Amino acid sequence: MKRQFLKAGFAGLLISGFLSHAAWSQSDPTGKRRITDTYAITNATIFASPGQPGTKATLLFREGVIIGMGPNLSLPKEAQLIAGDSLFIYPGFIDGASSAGITKPKDPERPKDFVSSNPPDEIAGITPWRSATDQFSITGNQVDDWRKAGFTISQVLPDGGMIPGKAAIMILGNSGSVNVIQENTALAANFSGARGMYPATAAGVIAKFRDVYQNTTLALDHSRLFASTAGVKRPEMTPTHTAMAAVVQGQIPVIFKAETELEARRAIALQKEFGFKLVLAGLDNYENVIDLIKSSGTAMLIKLQVPDDKAIKNQKTDSVTTATNAQYLRVKDAYDKALKQASLLEKAGVPFGFSTLDAKPGDAMKALRTMIKNGLTEKTALAALTTNPASILGISKFAGTIEKGKMANFVISTDSIFKEEAQIKHVVVDGYIFDYEVKKKSANGNGKTENGDATITGQWDYTSQTPAGSSGGELIIAKNGVEYTGTITYADPSGNGKVTAPIKNVSVNGKKLTFQFDVSAGGMSLTVDITGEITGNAMDGTMSVGQFGSFPLTAKLNLPSLTL
Amino acid sequence: MKKLNLILAALLGLGLNYSNAQTQKGNVLIINATVLTVTKGNLENTDVLVQNGIIRQVGKNLSAPAGVETIDASGKYLMPGIIDAHSHVALDVVNEASSPITSEVRMKDVVNPFEIGIYRALAGGVTISHAMHGSANVVGGQNATLKHRWGVKDPSDIIMQDAPRTIKFALGENPTRVHGRGNGIQPKSRMGVEAVLRNGFNEALQYKKGWETYNAAKSQKGNTKTPPAYNERLQTLADILDGKIIIHCHSYRADEIYMLINVAKDFGITKLVFQHTNEGFKVAPEIAQYTMGASVFADWWAYKMEVYYSTAFNAAILQRNGAITSINSDSAELIRHLYHEAAKTQRYGGLTDEEALAMITINPAKQLGIDDKVGSIEVGKQADLVIFEGHPLSSYTIPQMTFVDGVKYFDIKADPDDQRQFVSATEMVEPIFLHAYENHQCLQDVDEYFEAFQGAFIEEKH
Repeated sequence: MKRQFLKAGFAGLLISGFLSHAAWSQSDPTGKRRITDTYAITNATIFASPGQPGTKATLLFREGVIIGMGPNLSLPKEAQLIAGDSLFIYPGFIDGASSAGITKPKDPERPKDFVSSNPPDEIAGITPWRSATDQFSITGNQVDDWRKAGFTISQVLPDGGMIPGKAAIMILGNSGSVNVIQENTALAANFSGARGMYPATAAGVIAKFRDVYQNTTLALDHSRLFASTAGVKRPEMTPTHTAMAAVVQGQIPVIFKAETELEARRAIALQKEFGFKLVLAGLDNYENVIDLIKSSGTAMLIKLQVPDDKAIKNQKTDSVTTATNAQYLRVKDAYDKALKQASLLEKAGVPFGFSTLDAKPGDAMKALRTMIKNGLTEKTALAALTTNPASILGISKFAGTIEKGKMANFVISTDSIFKEEAQIKHVVVDGYIFDYEVKKKSANGNGKTENGDATITGQWDYTSQTPAGSSGGELIIAKNGVEYTGTITYADPSGNGKVTAPIKNVSVNGKKLTFQFDVSAGGMSLTVDITGEITGNAMDGTMSVGQFGSFPLTAKLNLPSLTL
Repeated sequence: MKKLNLILAALLGLGLNYSNAQTQKGNVLIINATVLTVTKGNLENTDVLVQNGIIRQVGKNLSAPAGVETIDASGKYLMPGIIDAHSHVALDVVNEASSPITSEVRMKDVVNPFEIGIYRALAGGVTISHAMHGSANVVGGQNATLKHRWGVKDPSDIIMQDAPRTIKFALGENPTRVHGRGNGIQPKSRMGVEAVLRNGFNEALQYKKGWETYNAAKSQKGNTKTPPAYNERLQTLADILDGKIIIHCHSYRADEIYMLINVAKDFGITKLVFQHTNEGFKVAPEIAQYTMGASVFADWWAYKMEVYYSTAFNAAILQRNGAITSINSDSAELIRHLYHEAAKTQRYGGLTDEEALAMITINPAKQLGIDDKVGSIEVGKQADLVIFEGHPLSSYTIPQMTFVDGVKYFDIKADPDDQRQFVSATEMVEPIFLHAYENHQCLQDVDEYFEAFQGAFIEEKH
């Protein structure tokens, strides 16, 4: 925590999107102090809790606490007004299990007498005494990315081995504040073994977990006897036992990272064996364990991600055998089922939250929309982002909904939040306002944004790598009305200089460019497919040549916007 | 059936969990088969009635109770489900190779019921496999005896819950290579292996005594004795000494086999089975007298130094010396044709049909401590059955149907190509290859473990 203070001044400079109204002055040499900590968002559409319809109202908050909400509030003079007429306000999202802002501590040095079959706990990844607060920085990796996606509170898990330490609930707020809401909220655990020492595998990890748990129980028995009876030898509580006591005594849950249904079953089996409170985090594949999770009363934080559709997209439609096609259908079926999982949880009545572990912040809203398209109701989606995790984390008293007296944590969007065209314009965390760039819609209103598509017109030089070696040529793309046209040169397959061919089916979608051209070789005509991703003036992609395979291709835009 | 369980569970207000989930039990009448009972001779044109997963009647002209399916096996052979006493199929982890003794590790914790190897085994008539820890450690983990109930999703539903506990031991080159050469600790030699065992058992005796002392004292008034540290590693070794666990020991050479017999005698251990037992023929009378026998390959050897002194007559010599002998696979490929492996004992050693079939049925059942439940066709036993077209010891035989607890899990006439239980949503279907060579899994997971040491490691993995 001390580190957070020290870093705050410097790190604050790095935060982009942070509203700074203060001018430089002697009493505040950093220029970071707010003029006011009272804000009113006027006449906005407020969705106070999941399932409630939006109501037009003004929202007043001071020092990070909601002090009023209604149509006819009298606003204090010091309140800074934000016109909310076109805005939609939701409770700030809560992340049940996250690694945002966490930096893995350095591995301790191995002692000289290190024996890999019996390593010290600290080296073997058994460090329940560690706290996520010591590994967290508000300016750390991905904090702003997740805040930008609407997350205002997150339970961060420490990084490490099988029992990395205790989780903490953080507010993803101002870099100048102390952002810990609660420390030691849960014990983080997972099935990853230590590298090159005991326990090295999931089987060893489960055995070691039993050992740690049982010996903590015994050490506590011993301590009680020592306290009550004279003549008992003194207890020797190791740091592991001391730190595990809160779990054994039922004060805090174990938050097990489990991605697959088998991992979920393994964690629940341990829970049944010992009776600790259990939260499962990061579930990716859980359709078959929904009933088990429900009956065992396990809290559940599913991964805020849907499977990518690459495997589905890459399925060819023609010239595949019946057997291959049958296998394709099974992958498609598995994909469809994966998208529906969240809605099945809802139907089963399991109040789940989300975990952002191993998920991508930029894809969060898209993942939510996909789940909704596949049967999850918007009400439950919002509950999984707000009230459910608040209840799982035990912070419902001050977070999860928009109510007088609760924390001023909001997601403010340009439209109804789960709509495709909705964009998050502000995120309010702890009463601090973070602004995000909103892209204007294009004139034709097809959902594409003004600056959405990369510039592709101009003269490109490309290089491709094939088994025959490196070759390259020139690519020219021009815009003709709404269509793109152009030409490409390539080394003549018959070995005489370069050939020029027209390109066709040119399409650009965001950063992705695709086009085709035909090559004649030995009386045969082949269609070459080029797909690439554009970053600035460079393209990184692949070239697929019929049944001969795909090869890497890179290109550079030398003369942008060349007109032919 | 599964649905019914769910409804029942809901009605009774019970959570559906490990302890009360019921595995499926079937009813079937198989008629007109040549029944190879293994323990009670061969019965021509005989019917077998299965009710609720148990063999109820074996006889002629049985009639099917209402609702029980009848399968006509005229001209076909019915034998007990094949039992593989040495397998690593359906395990997510095989070796916790990080310590010379890892008796606290349980294979039951890492069973994967989705592994396709289970279905392939069923297609070869195998209904039970002994999913073992690997051979990296002198004392490995506790094994799981699996019933191949293909299609269940809960790992505990493929574990044979009424089978006794077993544990893996390993002698010779594997533990000395992994720990001695790989890690510079004991055991570096066969002498070291014996020392690890004796030290382990002696420590377990002290551990047991410590708990006995504490348990006797704790309820007494004014007790000042404190509980000893819990140690499942030593507790498991103590359970072995108390006869609660059957040892299955990876071994090749006669000297190390005889060493372990002596260790067992010194510590009063009687539940001991040797695995691989390549030089078992040299110590067959000793194995017969002191142990629960040997489980061997039919004819596989010379993959490392300690497996050079070999003979295909090994199984026959052990058998005729009175040792309980079984033929095992230790391989996801061999497991598909164990009946063929058993037939090799007739070519090399001239065993009778009954002796050869016993090597893959009642004998492995005895070694796993489940011969009162499975391993032969007898009234009252669990209905694990296989129908063969052609005598199972013929080179031309083909398994037709495989039943576990009277439920049909394999039928060659209803055998779709894609039998996967779990399909990834994000991966293209890759071609699947059967590894016909070099896939003994005894040292699985060890390479990965050793990468961390940058340790030199050798190719063989048996």
